[in-house]
Amino acid sequence: MRSGLGVKLAILMAAIGILASGLTGYYAYSKNRIMLVDAAQRNLLTSTQLLNRRMSSALNEFAADALFMANLPAAAKSATGDAGAKTRLYYVFNALLAAHPEYLQLRLISARQHGLELVRVDRDQQGLVRVQGQRLQEKGTFPYVFETLPLATGQIYLSRISINHEYGAHAAEGQPTLVIATPVVGPSGTCAVVVINVELASLLKMLQADLPNHFQLYLANNWGDFLIHPDPSQTFGFDRGRRILMQDSFPATQALFNHSSPSLVINGLEDPVQARDQVVAFVRKPYGQPEQKQFVVLGLAQPLRDVLTGANSLGKSIVRIVLAFSIISIALSMLFSRALTQPLNMLAHAATRFSSERALEALPLDRTDEIGILARCFDRMRSQIKSHMATQYETQQKLAYLAHHDQLTGLPNRMLFFQRLELAIGNARLRNEHLAVLFVDLDHFKEINDQLGHVMGDQVLQMVAQRLQNMVRASDTVARLGGDEFILLMEGIPEPSALNAIIDKLATSLNAVMALEQQSVRIGASIGISLFPQDGDTPEALIHHADQAMYQRKSQGRHMACFDQPG
Amino acid sequence: MQTRLIHIILRWLIVSALFLATPVCAMDTLRVLAWPGYADPDVVRAFEQRYQAHVEVTFVGADEVLWQQMHAEHGQLFDVVAANSAEMQRYTREGLLAPLELSALPNTRKQLPRFQARASIPGLIHDGRVYAIPYTYSTMGLIYDRRQFSQAPQSMNAMWDPRFRQKVLDFNSAEHNFSFTALTLGIRAPFNLSPAQRARAAQRLIALRRNVLTYYNQPEEATELFVHHKVALMFGNYGTQQLSLLRRAGADVGYVIPKEGALAWLDCWAMTRAARNRVLAQNWINYMLDPWVSGLLTQRQGLANTLTASTDLTPNAKIIWLEPVVDTAEREALWQKIISGDRPRSF
Repeated sequence: MRSGLGVKLAILMAAIGILASGLTGYYAYSKNRIMLVDAAQRNLLTSTQLLNRRMSSALNEFAADALFMANLPAAAKSATGDAGAKTRLYYVFNALLAAHPEYLQLRLISARQHGLELVRVDRDQQGLVRVQGQRLQEKGTFPYVFETLPLATGQIYLSRISINHEYGAHAAEGQPTLVIATPVVGPSGTCAVVVINVELASLLKMLQADLPNHFQLYLANNWGDFLIHPDPSQTFGFDRGRRILMQDSFPATQALFNHSSPSLVINGLEDPVQARDQVVAFVRKPYGQPEQKQFVVLGLAQPLRDVLTGANSLGKSIVRIVLAFSIISIALSMLFSRALTQPLNMLAHAATRFSSERALEALPLDRTDEIGILARCFDRMRSQIKSHMATQYETQQKLAYLAHHDQLTGLPNRMLFFQRLELAIGNARLRNEHLAVLFVDLDHFKEINDQLGHVMGDQVLQMVAQRLQNMVRASDTVARLGGDEFILLMEGIPEPSALNAIIDKLATSLNAVMALEQQSVRIGASIGISLFPQDGDTPEALIHHADQAMYQRKSQGRHMACFDQPG
Repeated sequence: MQTRLIHIILRWLIVSALFLATPVCAMDTLRVLAWPGYADPDVVRAFEQRYQAHVEVTFVGADEVLWQQMHAEHGQLFDVVAANSAEMQRYTREGLLAPLELSALPNTRKQLPRFQARASIPGLIHDGRVYAIPYTYSTMGLIYDRRQFSQAPQSMNAMWDPRFRQKVLDFNSAEHNFSFTALTLGIRAPFNLSPAQRARAAQRLIALRRNVLTYYNQPEEATELFVHHKVALMFGNYGTQQLSLLRRAGADVGYVIPKEGALAWLDCWAMTRAARNRVLAQNWINYMLDPWVSGLLTQRQGLANTLTASTDLTPNAKIIWLEPVVDTAEREALWQKIISGDRPRSF
């Protein structure tokens, strides 16, 4: 009982406390994660759009360079076969290539002779190479020639991003590249095209210039083929006869390819299948000549881990706070349960002690709460019980007195006398002593009662009792057997002969005149004696003997004591 | 009460485990290696029900991947395989395949006579035994714009016709270009060219380059170029599959098998030497020739099947089934120079 209620209460309250703080913590944690991811999504989309703009401006710069070259007089002149113009153009190409490490090749390609290259400078591992003579190739079948030739002055052709498989292209060979071209217009119309080969890796580097390192870039063409992917083996799959599509890796991007949405963001928190441990933003970017309806899809990914770093540290502090609150709630619930159970235990203890020992233990009577009320009720109940019990005890004492004493004389009655005699016999036997029982019967009491009335009779009996008590030792017992019969128990009798003197004294005292209210009476008594152990060893035997002796005495003449003569 | 509940759950688990385990243990598993579209889920399910077997399909997207899968784990991974007849020839020579019993393949009798004449198709028979059964094929004919041709072109030579300068599309492939050019030069063995034959073909391919608009890789790309540049004639590497794409894009196109003959690939089914249950494996091959299954291939993938005659493949049409090219590397090296624009004197 002691551990039961307190422990249960403590556990219950501690559990409520822990649960409440845990749930609050968890809610705060997950809400925070969602907020962080939302913010990251917005930032990432902005970054992707920024990337998009940066790509546009890079492409514009390339276009500006192409136009600059196409507008050089040397360009148109070279198309007519002017060797000097070709050399001048070569110097320009050389200078531009030196200034732009992202350019792999600069060429002037004729509109005639199956697209024969007229001036060509390639980048090589060692530096720049001018390609001349028989090594110049016919490029008429390449889109950057046949698509550019019909364009008007100032228009720009932008190729699809693909791997350059042109044989003998030096550093450009086998590299993912982007080709920018523009027509060169001479006196008799378009006579050549200027072609810039841009390395995708350099473009990528420009795009990623101030992106954090852990950001990953995706780029797909308008069919979804990956051109840039954090895993290079996933790019240009079509070039190896195996299409690897963005729509397959990120099905949500289908919306970008079917033009139902210009941008989208997915995150690993809501969509762990598509954006596994990532937040990815995608933006569709129109690309090249508007009538070709080309576009690329740019994607930027940020690891979810980075985004949630804040949430994780918050999570850790939440765990600490939850732990602290749990400990506090355990401590508080223990204290509370103690505060509640201690007064209850106090009451229980007081009740136990009161019922077993009638002890009045201190109670929390000063409290103003329910426990105080309970304590006061208990205290009131306890005092009531106490007073009831005192009354009962008194009554019991009185009843016991009445049961053992004669009401008229206040002397022990027959029952008490028997008890004392029994006790005395036991004592005498132990000490090997004598004791005597004296049976006193008043002579002429009947006459006094008849003549003078009961009141007088009673007065006589009271007086006799007083005289008998006065005549014996305090240790002796005087009792009234009823009517006019009294009996005495005398212990510690040295020898029977000493009794005669006592009997004489008694007889003399009882014979003396009694001054009653209106007159004096004289009453006598017959006394019979029996001795222990001579006359018996049980109360009944001793009393019987004394009675016999008394009758014998009475029949011999009054006022004499007589020992019962055995036989 | 609790222990009673546990007992009930346990008993239920044991009973259901036995119930589930029995059919799985009893069923054979057929391991299929195929190209996407050759074993659609509903087709597989119907087979599983019919033959009370379990089928595991692995798809491949390229001949190289197929080759790797066939050689992985010492060629023990698959029971049946779908590959083109040229690949089958290699597998047969390597001893990776097991011969087939025609009596176990009654559906072969429903095939077109051309496909029942197995001896005429290289790669199906080895040492007098049948190792592969044709399943689907695609010819590489000529696609032409009906509006620019009053009469369908008859010969491959139309691609060199200067009237169609920059109106011709060619496919970017060293093997096929050398093969069909060899055919136009009247060379008998287009898959194994001598250095002299190759040199002749190379010069002719430079001439073709000067006549074509460009080379394509993907069918979508070809369609876009065809429509945008009003192309007159195209080497149809993807065969009749390209026609539907072109027609959807608004082109009015026709398809011919030139008189020199059209190259064609032929995909076949074969049973591997590692096949655990040969009856089940041959049941699969026979099932693939079921009119229902072969019909679905045409219906869903636009691929021709070997049971029904198609418009392009008349009985007299000359078909040159692809064979392994012997001089691949040499063709590849020359082709790189050709498409990069090297001039005739650099060869």
